[in-house]
Amino acid sequence: MGTVLGLVVLTGVRAAPQPVASGTDPASGLPYWAYQGGGISVQLVQRLPDQTRAFFMARGFDRDAAEAIALGCVFQTIVRNIDPGPEAQAIEYDVARWRVHVTGRTRPVKIKSQWDREWTARGLSEAARIAFRWSLLPTRQRLEPSDYNWGMSSFDLPPGQVFDLELVWSREGQQYRGAIEGMRCAPDVPAATHNQEE
Amino acid sequence: MRLIPGVWLACGVLAALAMAHAAGEQRLTAIPDRPEAPDFALKDIDGKTHRLSDYRGRPVIVNFWATWCPPCRKEMPSMQRAWETIEQQGIAMLAVNVGEDEDTIFAFTANYPVEFPLLMDMDSKIVQQWSVRGLPTTFVVDPRGRLAYRAIGGRAWDDPRLLDQVRALAR
Repeated sequence: MGTVLGLVVLTGVRAAPQPVASGTDPASGLPYWAYQGGGISVQLVQRLPDQTRAFFMARGFDRDAAEAIALGCVFQTIVRNIDPGPEAQAIEYDVARWRVHVTGRTRPVKIKSQWDREWTARGLSEAARIAFRWSLLPTRQRLEPSDYNWGMSSFDLPPGQVFDLELVWSREGQQYRGAIEGMRCAPDVPAATHNQEE
Repeated sequence: MRLIPGVWLACGVLAALAMAHAAGEQRLTAIPDRPEAPDFALKDIDGKTHRLSDYRGRPVIVNFWATWCPPCRKEMPSMQRAWETIEQQGIAMLAVNVGEDEDTIFAFTANYPVEFPLLMDMDSKIVQQWSVRGLPTTFVVDPRGRLAYRAIGGRAWDDPRLLDQVRALAR
């Protein structure tokens, strides 16, 4: 599964508690990683390339376009405001500020607008692009207490790649950072042995 | 033995996540100043057109969803149970599907039978006018046609505490 550790703390940035976990998602039988602290919970479950291929080809993607996203290291992602109590605060996140650390390099996460430009250049239908737009985790969001968002995240890495994910969010005007180390992109193997939902 | 702390941590985090979700922390967020809800005219899967403005005078729950969206599917049965309660209380419920056709939605209803209107926003223009960023997102429109509450992500809509907030708008 790989090592899963804690938190990045930068000067002037509040240190969030660091419960980070990994395991096997009971619904899909696939590995997941989770971070919880600073009012946020982020859960990322691997998606097999086959599942992503099938999902988008059923929604108007041609084979090449479906292959591009399927091999882009896709995770099913849930971001939730877990701030408890009557004084709970809203949280805000922007995936464009999250960072991927891989083999000594740091790179941004590939966000929805970048993919959309690619789909436009490929001449993908409007219907297919609409399906894609709503399937991905919203790039920016403000989540009030008990709100959550769900969607795919794509890290633009090859199947099987191990990487660290740096998360950034804010709450009460305070910026937080956390990290999940040792995440792994799903291998490109047939989905037949798994039962993950689309 | 090295696995034990990791397993313990994983169990702890999952339990905490589950508790946070199950602890009855469901809320509807009040929308400041209650702006006017963007009107729409959308067809349901039977071809009947529904205008939001036709529902003026009573609270309306407007849910944006898609068949492939797991939390949308999960909350749909609770919406039906809520509908069975509120239908006779002067509260309307409209579920606006984003980007799918009537055949897809009709097939979905075989497994998720509901009695409230399922509308189609095939080109996703309406969902964008409502400034929705992710599915599901639900709004509660007050009897004057203003946006009173919002919920991002699924809810158990048959929770009496949520429905009491909606009912209070009718008084």
